[in-house]
Amino acid sequence: MTKPLTLRWLGFKILLCLIILSTVMSVCSMIGTQKVSLPAVLIGLLDKQCQNTDYDIFVRVRVPRIIVAALVGAALAASGVALQAILRNPLAEPYILGISSGAALGAITAALLGASWRLWAGSPISAAAFLFALGTVWLVWLIGHLAGGSSVISLLLAGVVVNAFFSAVIMLLTNLLNSQQLRSTTLWLMGNITEKDFSTLLLSAILIVIGIFGLFILCHKLNVLTFGRAEAQSLGVNPRAVTLIAFALASLVTAVAVGLSGLVGFVGLIVPHSVRLVFGPDHRQLLPASAIIGAAFVVACDTVARTIIAPAQLPVGVITAVVGGPVFLLLLARSSRKLGGLR
Amino acid sequence: MNACIEVKDLCFAYRYGASILTNLNFRLDKGVFLSIAGPNGAGKTTLLNLLAGLIRPSSGSIIIDSKLVQSYSIRRLAAKVAFVRQEFVPVFDFTAAQVVSMGRTPYLGALAFESEADRKAITEAFEMTDTAQFADRPLAQLSGGERQQIFIARALAQQTPILFLDEPTSFLDMKHRVGIYDLLKQMQLEKQKTIVAVTHDINLCSQYSDMTLLLSAPASCCRKTAAGASYTFGPTDEILTAEQVEKVFGVETFSGKIGQRSFFLPLGKFTGERPDKTSAGENL
Amino acid sequence: MNMKKPLAIFVIVAVCTMILVVFIARRIVPEGTKAADSPKTPQRIVSLSPNLTEILFALGLGDKIVAVSNNCDWPVEAKAKPKVGTFWQPNTEAIIAVRPDLVVCETFDQQQQVAQTLKRTGLNVLSMSIESLDELYTAIMEIGDAAGCKLEAEQLVAYTKDQLDKIKAISSSAEKVKVLWVVQNEPMRLAGVNTFVNEIIEMAGGQNAIAPTATQYPSVPTEEIIRCGAEVIIQAAMGTRDLPKQQAAAEKFWAGFTNLPAVKNKRIYVIDPDTVLRLGPRLPQGVQAVLKCLHPELFARPHKVSHGMGKNK
Repeated sequence: MTKPLTLRWLGFKILLCLIILSTVMSVCSMIGTQKVSLPAVLIGLLDKQCQNTDYDIFVRVRVPRIIVAALVGAALAASGVALQAILRNPLAEPYILGISSGAALGAITAALLGASWRLWAGSPISAAAFLFALGTVWLVWLIGHLAGGSSVISLLLAGVVVNAFFSAVIMLLTNLLNSQQLRSTTLWLMGNITEKDFSTLLLSAILIVIGIFGLFILCHKLNVLTFGRAEAQSLGVNPRAVTLIAFALASLVTAVAVGLSGLVGFVGLIVPHSVRLVFGPDHRQLLPASAIIGAAFVVACDTVARTIIAPAQLPVGVITAVVGGPVFLLLLARSSRKLGGLR
Repeated sequence: MNACIEVKDLCFAYRYGASILTNLNFRLDKGVFLSIAGPNGAGKTTLLNLLAGLIRPSSGSIIIDSKLVQSYSIRRLAAKVAFVRQEFVPVFDFTAAQVVSMGRTPYLGALAFESEADRKAITEAFEMTDTAQFADRPLAQLSGGERQQIFIARALAQQTPILFLDEPTSFLDMKHRVGIYDLLKQMQLEKQKTIVAVTHDINLCSQYSDMTLLLSAPASCCRKTAAGASYTFGPTDEILTAEQVEKVFGVETFSGKIGQRSFFLPLGKFTGERPDKTSAGENL
Repeated sequence: MNMKKPLAIFVIVAVCTMILVVFIARRIVPEGTKAADSPKTPQRIVSLSPNLTEILFALGLGDKIVAVSNNCDWPVEAKAKPKVGTFWQPNTEAIIAVRPDLVVCETFDQQQQVAQTLKRTGLNVLSMSIESLDELYTAIMEIGDAAGCKLEAEQLVAYTKDQLDKIKAISSSAEKVKVLWVVQNEPMRLAGVNTFVNEIIEMAGGQNAIAPTATQYPSVPTEEIIRCGAEVIIQAAMGTRDLPKQQAAAEKFWAGFTNLPAVKNKRIYVIDPDTVLRLGPRLPQGVQAVLKCLHPELFARPHKVSHGMGKNK
């Protein structure tokens, strides 16, 4: 028998992944449109008085941006793992149950109301997208519950209904935007990593870490849940409670990620899938590994996004799609060949 | 009285449907092998799901180990009752070892890693089902029979005093059918497990089970209680008689006896020459 | 359950580490601006918007501009300046590397994000919204204040107001014409009544051919257009490429609407949008161009409207 999964063995694997992540983050912090020399950064660290643009760029722009990228990647990947388990479908992804249209609606509403930055020293679009995303998830859960007791089918149907309705409202509201607002909102929704201030970083990091940790505790139950609700219940797992909690946590971390960076696509789909091919489907391994690899993936994609057409930059969502699209097709082909023999 | 499972006045009907079970009453002692048999639509799987607490009865009560099934928490109930359904290939490709270790879920603590005791139970389950050689293979790569054995191993790893099985051998060949029932009987005899198995195979029922619950199909017009009993319950050799079988299943049957146990063969239009009912072994 | 003790230890260690990290981070990287010992007047200015670049040049600050966004194309000197990213996604690193002592930008989300980061780095950032004529004048004054050329700013504002008044005076002498301002052909989108474009039309002696609508740039069904009775059709060119070709295409497109006075009298104009739609110091030129389209009869005799002021064209 292969070596069974113990806390120690898992801890070792996670440590390995974390080392990879730190390496990626360090390397990427040195890459950018401006050359930043490490000695200059260290000098700036020690001597506050001198005007040191290397230090400023590194500390105010590079590092916060990389941290945001890592947080967004970790959140989306972890959320993807959870949703694939809940929906028992390896092709599910974090935005599938209403978050994408909710966030878009929030962003457009904020733009329409002309909400200004002075209100709370933060981006109004971010805040609105975050709140609307959470509200939409709650709505989808409510409808799913009323329609069919929170089974997989009823959740998916509720998601489809809410998405369709919100898309119509979005189309209506888009007509009312002027061209600058429209362009700005559309760009925001494409998924961009930007530098954030310290408090936002801290708050987001706390929420995301708590969410991922909460999901980690549920992992052995998620394993069982993938066998179906009846099987899960016979093995001592309350399917409804686990689905609800996992869904809530996954939605929370996704909403935080969306508030930070807009809708970065494909990460929540291909990272869990790829990691599952390497680490296997045991969620106790899959979740932390996916979160860490997801973080590294988005950090790398963002580095490409901000250097490839310098001095301009691409939205990171473009890079993840360009990389993710073909990878997804490959995985789809493989899994459909496998599924051909199932059931 | 060492009653393990007790059912009192159990009634069940789907919300806008006909009544499936009406006024079911029986008691099962610990360490007994019970078969639930009957034609399609008689409510065998429904009854098993009711006993396992997966659905609520319309009225009546089910008591397991002196406690109402509804009053058990899901985890406590899983430590009492293991449920084996028909094998299937799960969406994600877990290995056999991972599946069997899921049987320990009711006993895992907060951080959910298997302890020594858990690993011991898992190894034992593999030994009992003689499936250790599949341990590292994904379920998709096993045959149906091997998969069913793994699902049973998972239930054994759960180390519960009661085992429910819903048609565990429907799609398996003769060798596997007998093998699995042998294993179940072994569990009953060596570990005093109480076994409740739903089966279509009357002959397995007759050969292996101590008690039988024979359910009749519900009356064809809805919501009317059948005048006669809709079920019979008792020791297998008393319940499974030729007349009973013919009446409940609605098909002409040829029956005989091998030692103490009877066998039943359904007779259709083209099953060949009708055996003479006075020849070849006793007729019941 | 013997997992509780190591779990508790792990949680305590994690929380302590987090607190330590936060504490150290705050010591190393204090939030807020550092005391910028900036000179009285900025010597290194970065502009992230073409409107603002034009204003800076009009105020005589062109030499002090060290970098612009990539769509700042007027005057010619602006095109030659180093670029720090696009209008929609300015490159924060490049801006910091250029060591500006004043950055001017607009207030939409993407640029505000950059502005916040630059402020945290201790740079002096001025954000302005330029969506209307009044906002334009305010912006000119604010820039004048920040850049230490208040006098020039007041003069520019006065001059611009004066030019526009002159144009209004000229146009008021003629009868108002009905104007259809086309933003997009397929699907047909027009400039509505509560837009800045409408202000220009009215200044130039025109009147919007369509009734007030809820949206600023409504798409209007064909029958409305047929009924509107527009006397002049103006189309803003896509970019500034090949105006004659776009003019021919526009005339071809409108050829079918034979009952419109604009088509009958061949008064379809494709104009360069930069001076008209870009709210900046060249606005009087733009409005005059529209005036020429609406009331060519007023230009039968040569009439002088001076262009720009100072050294800029």
